[in-house]
Amino acid sequence: MTAFALSPRTRKRLVNRGLDVLTWLVVALMLAPVFWLVASSLQNDGQLARGSYDLLHPTFTAFKNMWKTVDFERYFINSVIICTVAALLATAFASTAGYALARFRFRGARPFGLAVIGTQLIPGSMFLLPLFIGFLWIKQHLGIQLFDTRVGMILVYTAFFTPVAIYFMRSFFQGIPRDLEEAAQVDGCTPFTAFVRIVLPSAAPGLVATFVYAFLFAWDELLFVAALTEHNAETLPLGIRLFIGNYSQYYGQLMAAGVVATIPVVIAFFAAQRWLVKGITAGAVKG
Amino acid sequence: MSTPTLQPQVSADVTRVDVPASPPPKRRRKRRNPLPYWLIAPALVVMLLIHVLPAAGGVVLSFKKFNLFTFRELFGAPWNGLENYRSILLDSDNPLHSGFWGAVQNTAVYTFWTVTGTLVGGLAIALLLNRKMRGQRVARTLMLVPWIIPSYVVAVLWAFMWQSDVGIINKVLVDYTHLLGHRPVWLLGPNTMWAIIIPSIWRGLPLAILIFLAGLQAQPQEVHEAASIDGAGPWRRFRYITLPLIRPLIGVQLLFGVIYAAYQYAIPTVMFGTNPGPDADLMMTFIVRQSFSNSLYGLGAAASTMLMLAMLVWVAVWYRVFRRDLEVT
Repeated sequence: MTAFALSPRTRKRLVNRGLDVLTWLVVALMLAPVFWLVASSLQNDGQLARGSYDLLHPTFTAFKNMWKTVDFERYFINSVIICTVAALLATAFASTAGYALARFRFRGARPFGLAVIGTQLIPGSMFLLPLFIGFLWIKQHLGIQLFDTRVGMILVYTAFFTPVAIYFMRSFFQGIPRDLEEAAQVDGCTPFTAFVRIVLPSAAPGLVATFVYAFLFAWDELLFVAALTEHNAETLPLGIRLFIGNYSQYYGQLMAAGVVATIPVVIAFFAAQRWLVKGITAGAVKG
Repeated sequence: MSTPTLQPQVSADVTRVDVPASPPPKRRRKRRNPLPYWLIAPALVVMLLIHVLPAAGGVVLSFKKFNLFTFRELFGAPWNGLENYRSILLDSDNPLHSGFWGAVQNTAVYTFWTVTGTLVGGLAIALLLNRKMRGQRVARTLMLVPWIIPSYVVAVLWAFMWQSDVGIINKVLVDYTHLLGHRPVWLLGPNTMWAIIIPSIWRGLPLAILIFLAGLQAQPQEVHEAASIDGAGPWRRFRYITLPLIRPLIGVQLLFGVIYAAYQYAIPTVMFGTNPGPDADLMMTFIVRQSFSNSLYGLGAAASTMLMLAMLVWVAVWYRVFRRDLEVT
């Protein structure tokens, strides 16, 4: 009732303050599960099983014990190596392919561009088994072990995340003025050396963003690593499930493992945040 | 200079093939330069070897009688015609027939709610964050955090929070706020669908917010001011200015959101194991379980092929609806 008595200006200010409060409420709601992850990782397993929290007395025991309960280090190192190398390779392949799509008009450019999007339409379950068979075939005929090796997983992830990386790099190259390369070619560079010496360095932010983007995706992958590894090349998503079994309920350590598994991607994300956000939104806004 | 193969002259005779088709003035511009082909070669090779070839193999396997007994023969396994398709689609004696249709239905429900929730919520939050406000940048950055959390961590975290007795969600809903009179069971029975939909929306929201926010910021402010002067209220400005302008962004996110949701695997699997139960079994969990746990490879391949066909149909439908937006962008 009183709202009608207020002057329009005061009413507008009240509405604005209300929306501010709403915004921060939404932020809090979005962050609440993350807070709960961290808070739970700082309790001990017994407390979590009973659901009794003591937020004022955090303990780091879960972070200490998790490495003994599960051989978590092995999973972690595998994840770091496989995802880093695969993301680097995907970025390298995507930088040349993205450049070709951004700068050259060539026969087959459009089919290639469509094929790049088309790969996203294939469900993982579709080529998982043939890939597994392919690994066996290579082992039998060429003697190269790919199943349950880091090299095998790197190969798969490189191919997996090259398509998204291509679209990412393409939009970055489209943002670089052509004059640079043209000037370089006048000065005697071939188109390729102009690309390597002039274009790539000025696309450095794009390369970093693409690398981080591919890394985030690789870090998240579960289906292929579950089917194509057995012991040696297993990564974090497989390791983290071992904290909860039929006979063990290490919830505190599970949450601690969740925090540890998230830290590398958080670092990578915030290191490249500005360019990453630019790449994602440019890709979506320009289509 | 260090790469003689990339010299333009090399392409001279290659060009001659397609010259007659193009009008004379354009001939020089259409000269085929081999450089772009070298540039796409590495990406093309890995995509052919890891995506295209195995996917084609998957389609072939869907027509084969391929199971534990014939596994040693690999692609030499006996042909099975359309039997794999028929048995899951039509054969009501096959115990997997109802499991398959259940998974189809669940995937449709999951995809609908996940995509709708992500887009509607994402747009609403983006509108909130687009207002001038103190701490606007901090709020925008914090909002991105759920997107970085790996989906397997999302799954173990939410499974932990969904616990009926000691989980924080029931504590908040029942003990603290008394919104509900009883403690719902989230990880068993019909609620399992919500147990996977809600975390999926939560993790998908930041990306939607990011994209919508970029679209909102790119809007010309003068149009809003002019409409405002003409007496258009907030709702009408949203309906007739904002919405048409961000329509292409809705289109792009619909396209990829539906595909991504229909292929969801990590969250249900990490939360419930290989068999999420009849209420939350999605296409991917069904296919992977039949292929790898039950060794029905041919059948799994047939189900995968149908899933992909369904997505192709979706892309075709999408293209008809959003074609004009593609031209705008």
